Amino acid sequence: MENLTIEETKYTPSINLNVERGTVDIIGKSYPENTFEFYEPVMQWLEDYFNGNAQKKTVLNFEIIYFNSSSSKLLFDLFDLLEEMREENLIEINWIYDSENESALEAGEDFKEDFEDLNIHLVSK
Amino acid sequence: MNVDNIQSIVDEDGIIFLTYGGFLTQTLIAGMTEALEKEAEYYDLNMGVSSNIFTIFIELSQNVMNYSKNKIENCKEVKSEGLIVVSKDKDMNYFIHSQNIITKFDREKIEPKLQEIIDSSKDDLKKKYRELRRSGKDSHGKGGGIGFYEIAKRSDSIKYEFKELNDDKYYFHFISKIKTQKED
Repeated sequence: MENLTIEETKYTPSINLNVERGTVDIIGKSYPENTFEFYEPVMQWLEDYFNGNAQKKTVLNFEIIYFNSSSSKLLFDLFDLLEEMREENLIEINWIYDSENESALEAGEDFKEDFEDLNIHLVSK
Repeated sequence: MNVDNIQSIVDEDGIIFLTYGGFLTQTLIAGMTEALEKEAEYYDLNMGVSSNIFTIFIELSQNVMNYSKNKIENCKEVKSEGLIVVSKDKDMNYFIHSQNIITKFDREKIEPKLQEIIDSSKDDLKKKYRELRRSGKDSHGKGGGIGFYEIAKRSDSIKYEFKELNDDKYYFHFISKIKTQKED
């Protein structure tokens, strides 16, 4: 299985999905024109990865400065997928936010409350 | 575009520093968001507040853009342009306006939803937003219907107005107000 890298644009984050390291990094802004199409390869990659290609431990780092409501919806679906994979996989999620950005912190808190069974750390930087 | 309308916005809300009327594209929205980032940086706005401004701006602009796109596909006669205005007053309250033409059918769909949002408390809005996000699983709608909740959650107040254009069409004008100064 291949790694997946998507370069950052003005309205989409940089995405690095690495099989050998078992890491997922999504960093930047997220307001694509068509969010579900844009993230389709990411969701597909995650399904393939957790279907027999996963490392013992998988670490996901999200550092999303701001995002539109369809990205928020997409992230919800992504966390939902992680929750399904949680029983057979060790999954750690870091929601990284700037200490001055209350809105980003609040978004992280919401996800943490919605997915109590997931291991979500709110990391201030 | 009616210049009088712009003038009345200036009288009411002070300085207009970003305005666009016409066809909206993703590249334009990204460019204007960048301009807003410069504004936030220059006036040293709190990061949480400026994230709210960017999100509301993007949400409203993409609404107008997506609405036009669907209408272009479905019926050629609807003019697909919109109007986006960002202004601020002397107390550093920001106002984001959007205006586009919608059908009577859509007005009847949107209006009760907006009224419900206006009548809700902040806590209820947050709850409803998360409920909608959860229940929308597997829906492939563009925004899953949570866009106006996202905007209201991040605004200090919202207003809307419909003005009749003809039997079947209305101008839909939406305003979000964002305070940047905390009250003492």
